[in-house]
Formats: sequence, structure tokens, C-alpha cells
Amino acid sequence: MKKHILFFPSIFFILILLIFFYLLTIDRDPSKVPSALLNKNFPKFETESLLKEKKFVASKEFKDRIILVNFFASWCNPCRIEHDFIKRFSNNKKIKVIGINYKDNPKKANEWLKKLGNPYSNIALDKNGRIAIDWGVYGIPETFVVNSDGIIKYRHVGPINKKIYKKINKIINEN
Amino acid sequence: MTSYLGNFLLWLSLFFAISQFFISRKSNEQNKKFISISVYGLLISSVSSFFLLMYAYVVSDFSLVNVFQNSHTTKPLLYKISGVWGNHEGSMLLWILVLTIFNYFIFNLNNKNNYFFISKCLETQALITIGFILFTALTSNPFERTIFNQQDGLGFNPILQDPALAIHPPLLYVGYVGFSAAFSIGVAALKLSEDKKIPWHLYMKPFVMAAWSFLSIGIALGSIWAYYELGWGGWWFWDPVENASFMPWLLGTALLHSLIMVEKRMLLQNWVLLLSILAFLLSIIGTFLVRSGILTSVHTFALDPARGIYILVFAAILGSYSLYLFGTKSKKFVNSNYFAFFSKEGSILINNILMVVVCLTVFLGTIYPLLIEALTSNKISVGEPYYNSTAVPIILPAILIMGIGPILSWKKDDKLKTFKKILPVVVLSALTTIFIFLIYKSYSLIGIAGVFLGLWIIFNNIMILIKKLKNYSIGMVVAHLGIGLMILGITGSTVWQEEKIIKMKINDNIRVNKFNLVFNKISEVEGPNYVAIRGNFLVYDNKKNLITELNPENRFYPVTNNFTTEASIYTNLLGDLYSVLGEGNINSGWVLRIYYNPLVVWIWIGAFTIFLGGVVSLRNNLTKLKSLY
Amino acid sequence: MKTKKLIFRKIIVITFFIFISTLFLKNVIAVEPDEILKNEKQEMRARIISKNIRCMVCQNQSIDDSNAPLARDLRLLIRDQIKDGKKDYEIYNFLTDRYGDFILLKPPLKLSTLALWFLPFLFFIIGIFVVFKYSKK
Repeated sequence: MKKHILFFPSIFFILILLIFFYLLTIDRDPSKVPSALLNKNFPKFETESLLKEKKFVASKEFKDRIILVNFFASWCNPCRIEHDFIKRFSNNKKIKVIGINYKDNPKKANEWLKKLGNPYSNIALDKNGRIAIDWGVYGIPETFVVNSDGIIKYRHVGPINKKIYKKINKIINEN
Repeated sequence: MTSYLGNFLLWLSLFFAISQFFISRKSNEQNKKFISISVYGLLISSVSSFFLLMYAYVVSDFSLVNVFQNSHTTKPLLYKISGVWGNHEGSMLLWILVLTIFNYFIFNLNNKNNYFFISKCLETQALITIGFILFTALTSNPFERTIFNQQDGLGFNPILQDPALAIHPPLLYVGYVGFSAAFSIGVAALKLSEDKKIPWHLYMKPFVMAAWSFLSIGIALGSIWAYYELGWGGWWFWDPVENASFMPWLLGTALLHSLIMVEKRMLLQNWVLLLSILAFLLSIIGTFLVRSGILTSVHTFALDPARGIYILVFAAILGSYSLYLFGTKSKKFVNSNYFAFFSKEGSILINNILMVVVCLTVFLGTIYPLLIEALTSNKISVGEPYYNSTAVPIILPAILIMGIGPILSWKKDDKLKTFKKILPVVVLSALTTIFIFLIYKSYSLIGIAGVFLGLWIIFNNIMILIKKLKNYSIGMVVAHLGIGLMILGITGSTVWQEEKIIKMKINDNIRVNKFNLVFNKISEVEGPNYVAIRGNFLVYDNKKNLITELNPENRFYPVTNNFTTEASIYTNLLGDLYSVLGEGNINSGWVLRIYYNPLVVWIWIGAFTIFLGGVVSLRNNLTKLKSLY
Repeated sequence: MKTKKLIFRKIIVITFFIFISTLFLKNVIAVEPDEILKNEKQEMRARIISKNIRCMVCQNQSIDDSNAPLARDLRLLIRDQIKDGKKDYEIYNFLTDRYGDFILLKPPLKLSTLALWFLPFLFFIIGIFVVFKYSKK
């Protein structure tokens, strides 16, 4: 028997441990999944608007500017937590903030916005969650950055915190 | 107070483990007294720390964070006790306890002739024990004090309040940790110089046998828990936690069988040594995968990167030490005794290889998503369908060979004679399979293969019993029979499962298989620490005789604010009627999910038979070992 | 303030345990009676597809076994598409276009999963080869 074969197990073992070590030390959240829509065109849709009488037509709304798309609902507690950050985004003149109201009662959504303030320039109603599926949404709140060409550049799952706020701003400035 | 005492005992056991490590390095006879003091000291201190924590659980001593987080005064006593190992910190204490008990068993084997060998084993065992005590004390201390006085605990996940799950971890740990003894013996064997020949395989075998048997029954109990408690009618989900226990089991199976080769023919010694090292390393890696938060799994214990890094470093030390030793020292164990492909050696070797291949496949499936994520930042899932199309096809030929292996003779066997020997079994299995399918009229390729293979194993072993072929081992026959029964159960419950999901009002009825269920009533009930809605269903057979009543429940546990479903199951030898109550109300009716799971009970009977066979073999192994003295 | 940090850590641990306990709740009925298609063949197809689709919210569970709202939405969507005469592969493509390969419990054969699919059989062949080599002599 060749002698070096006997060392294979140890080499193999150390290699696996190195991969584990790498995964432990990098900043990652095993429960988060990268979006399949990154660097692709945003999914088009038409639906009712929560704020206006007119229909919400995505291809008309998503034009010329960087769009921040935020899926939210009045029943969603983490959405309340991130709401201040969404408001801060609405002060940024470079971007337009679009809300998509997910499986919500429009009345409650309006009350919620009245109480907390409305940062959205327009809100699309996603009553049965079908639009969310097209966007690959699996847990609200979720936030997307769509550039002026209609390409999705970033997706964040979960409430926005300081770190993510900075990250999104960086992405906005790059585009 | 409890906290101080517990910490003291923990550090005391660390002290004894360290002293055992250093004393056993210098293995001369004069040290024997000190070694025995260390071994006993370690055992006593770890036993007392374990029972101290148990006491704290029983009297609900909420000055400990661990008790506060995982217990509650209203919890039934059995679950207070099992609460000790129902959480990460406490389970580590149990792990240490089992380690020190095995440590004591190894020490007990010492005599004048093997003293050098045993002390080498104790050295490695002490190293492992030190690693785990430090891990517990530094990252997962169960004796941490609460800062404020707590009136009552946070409770305990109700889904874990199940008798099968209460005893599942201890059995599983005997399995995992039993491999630590095999590991220590393997490392000690590698360290032996050529002039000191010792039948190390006879020392290793009882520990492997014990570990393997307990791992088998431990895994089975986990499945029983999943089947009875989770309420989806399934019992195995290829979840990372399940894989973490299945992988050492597969290697243990290979190890067990190759040990026979060493015993009879002195073949494959270095292979056995490698397996004994890998089986325990895999147990540790499994622990790492489950407890570091690197994977998300339904069973995850806790997310703490510090723990993960600690286990990783520990595994790296143990692994590189032992595998390096293997690389440099195992060459001297190469033995080239003759055997033909068609022989007992051939069949054991093939089965060995297949078990290892299945293990590698499961390992690959478990860590592949991690690899992909590390290398491409993409994510994939590897779930049940993957294992069904890779691991399962590799297991099937292994089962085929398993039936014939025990009949073959060593070195070389005659193909024609063997064929004549097994012909009746082949015919009998085939006829019975055809007969079964004619009755049930449900054809599927996997079903036919599964039933045939199950019968094939069972009939072969019955033939061995009747004809008293060669000097067979009764433990082996029993364990193999268990596998046969289990295969029948697994095939039956996966191939012929029937399922009905319907909405029922009071007095509605539904037919499932040959049963007729009538929705009798629905009522509110109050348990010791929960409230529940209970449906009552009368089950009639074809002749309209009342057979049984099913009472599936939806429970609410106010302490932990949990809803659970309590499946109600009618079990007999042919199949289970499995019912789960869903949502509903009086007006529109209640949702009911009913399964008919044929032959499920044979999986558990099979597992228990395997365990029994293992225990019988264990006794034989111990007798053989004692005859050395 | 070390104690403050400790308390904070403890709170995190506790919320984590509560979070975990919700993960444990894989009970209650997944497929509801009102979802089931009248056409048995179509329903069978829907069940098989659902068993191969991962529930994104619950981890390690197929949408067929999950009672999460999104899992239900996807089950209904799959059934709608089956009723519309879509082929199985079209439905899988529809889902992976939106959620990525992660949603498939059976990873697709790609360059990056080549090792995952072929290594087991490679191991198998090497193993059998080794046995032959050792036994012949």
C-alpha cells in the first residue's frame, strides 16, 4: 500500500473543518436566502392603489428614478420597528419610496399610516399576496432597491436597522 | 448555593480529568493507585454534579438560569427530570457523565498484562473528557446563577414533553460517547509498539457493540417521538439532526462488521482503526453542526458562535492528533491474508464499503448547502427527495448482500452450493411477496423490492436458526431479523400510506382503508398544564363492530404560550390509524386529517429487536474479553 | 457595565428560545380540505410537487407539511397552474424564477451541484473496485 494514502483522512478532515471555520466567522444569517431576482428586471404588476383612486401600474411608477420598494402590513410588528428608517428614506430626494401593502385590510393600513406617518409616495395593494410571490417575498417586511433602469439591485429580508440603512444608502449612491 | 456547589463539582471533575491525563502518560505500576483515585474522583464528581442539577430541577431551584429557562413548577415530575438534558447546557452535563462512566469501564479492564495499553486508552479518554468539561464550564455552564430572584420558570416546550423524548437523549449519548471509548482504544492501539502485541480488537468490540446498540434504539426513539408528537404521520425527515445521529450509526455498523474480520482473520486492521477514529469524530462534528447554529434545523439547540468555534477547535485537536497518528503508525497493521470475492470476507467488505458510501452521501447532503454558500454565496436546499434518490438505492444492494453474507464461509465459497442453499429462501421470499401483492393489489417497484428484501432477510435468518448453520452468533441473527422486520415496516408505511383530509360535522362519517370513522363529539378538557379541545371519533370495522375511539386534541399551554396538536393513534400489528384534529367550529365542521399507516409498529419492533441482538452480542463479547484474563 | 450586558444577553437568549419554540410548532393541519382538487390525478400531481417544494419560512419542511400562510399560498398557486394545464417543469421553473434553487428540496443538476449528485455514485464505484482489488490477489 502506498504510504501517502494513509494521510488522506487527516487532510480531508482539516479541509472540512476549515470550511466550517470560515462559515462561522463570516457575517451570515443561515435563515436568510439571497434573492433570485437580483440584477433582473422587476416583476411588473397592476393593482389598486391604497392612496389614489387611479390604478397602480408598476411600469408607470417605476421610472427614471431609483425606487425603494417596501413590503409591509399593519399586522406586522417588525414593520413598525423599521418604519422610522423608511421615513428617513422618504426624505431622500434621489429616490422614490413605494409601499406594497401585503395581505392587509385597507382600512387598518390607512389607520396605521395615519398614526405612524406615511413615507410612501404610492402604495400598491397586494390583497392575496400574489404580487409578493412574484417578487420572491417570503417574510415581510422586505425591502428592494430598484435602479432607474428597473433592475433590482438589492433585497433585504426583515426589519431595517442602522447597519442595513447605511448599506442601502450606499447602494443608492452607487446607482 | 446550588450554583457554587455545581461549579465546584464541575471544576473538581476537571481537576481529576487533568490528573488522569498526566498520570496515565507515565504508565508505570506505581502510578496505578493515583490513576484509580483520578478515575474514581472523576466519576464521583461528575455523577454528583449531574444529580445536583437534577435535584435543582426537581425542587424547581430558579436560582439557576438553566432551571429558570427550561422548567416550571407546574411541570410533571418526569419532565422536570428529563428537563435536565432537554436543553443544551444540561445535556452537556449528561454527555460528561456518560464519558466518565465509560472511562471507568475502560479502567476496570486493566490487569498486569495490559496495563500499558489501558493507561494509553485512559490518556486519550481523559483528553476527551477535559475538552468537554472545559466546553461546558466555559461556554455552556448549567450552573450559572440568575441575577434576580425568579418566582417561576419560563416553562418547557410542550412538544418536548413526551416519554419517548425523555429517554431518547440518554440512549443517544451512550451511543455517541460509546464511540469515544472505541476512539481511545483505537488511538492506544496505534501507539502500541510492535513488540507489545495486544488483542486490542477484543477490547474495542464490546464498546462498539454497546455504542451501536444504544445509538440504534436512541435513533428509533427519536423517530417514535417524531411520529407520535409532530403529527404529520411521518417518522424520518432527513433533518440535519437526524443525519447527525445516522452517520455515526452507519460508520458504527461498518466498524462492527469489520471487527469480525479482525477477530477471525486479522484482516482490515487499519481500516478498523480508521473507522473507530472517524465514528467518534463524526459524533463531534454532528454535535457541532447541530449546536453551532451553522445550519438551521428544526431542532436547533442554540445559536452561539463561541460554542461553535470551541467545538471546532476541539475537533481539530482530536482529529489532527488521531488522524496524524493513523497516517504515521497504521502501516504496521497491514495484513494480506487471502480471501476470494465470493466469501464471507467479500460480503462483509462490500457491506462495509456500502455503509461508508451511504455515510459519505448523507454527509455530503448535509454539508453541501454550506459548501455552496461558502463558495458561491448562493443557497440550495438538500432535502428528502435527494436522499431518496441517492442514499436509498445504495442501501438496497447492501440489504441483498446482508441476507447471504452470514451463510457464506470464510476465505472462499462454492457458488453452486451456496445457490442451492439459498434457493428455498429465494423461492419462499418471492412467493410470499407475490402473495402479499395479490392480496393488497397495490403495485409499486419500491414496494415489491422492499417487501422482498425484508422477507429475504427474515427467511435467511430463520433458515440459519433451523439448520443451525455453522457456528452462528445468536446476537447477529436476532439483530438481522430486526433489520428485516424494520424493512417491512418502512416499506409498508411509505408505499401503502393512505391519507384523507376532510371537514367533518358531528355525526359525519368517513371511510379510511377498512375502517369507518364517525365523528361523535367535541369537548373541552383540562390537563395538568394545558387546556385542550378534544374530538371524539368512533371507529368501526367492516362488520360495524366498534373497534376503538380516537381522541385527537388541540392543546394550548399557557405558560409557554404554545399550541400543539396531539395525534390520536390506534395501533395494531397490521397498521396504524392516525388522526389529527385541525381547526374548525360547530357550524362549519372541523378539519380532520387521517392516515392509515400500514405496518408502522414493525419499525419499532424491528428497532427493539436490533437492540436486543446487540445486547446479546455484547454479552458474548464481554465473555470473550474476560477469557483473556 | 458588565451586568447590563449580561442581562441583555440573557434577554436575547430567552427571546431566542421563544423563537425556537415557534419553529418547533410543525403541527396542525397543512393541506386544508378546501384546497384539494376534484380531479384526483391533478391533485396527486399537486401533492408530489408540493412535497418537493421547500417552505421558505419554516426551513427543512416541504410546503405540503407546513401550515405557514405562504406555504398555503404556494400550494394554491401550484394547483391553479395545474388546472391551467401547466406542465410540472413549468411550475418548478415558475417557482425557481422567483425564489431561486433554494426552494427546491431536490437540488437541480447544475455545474455547482455536479459533485452533490455524482460523488455518491463515484464513491460507490470506487468502493466496489477496492473490494475486487483486495479479494482477487
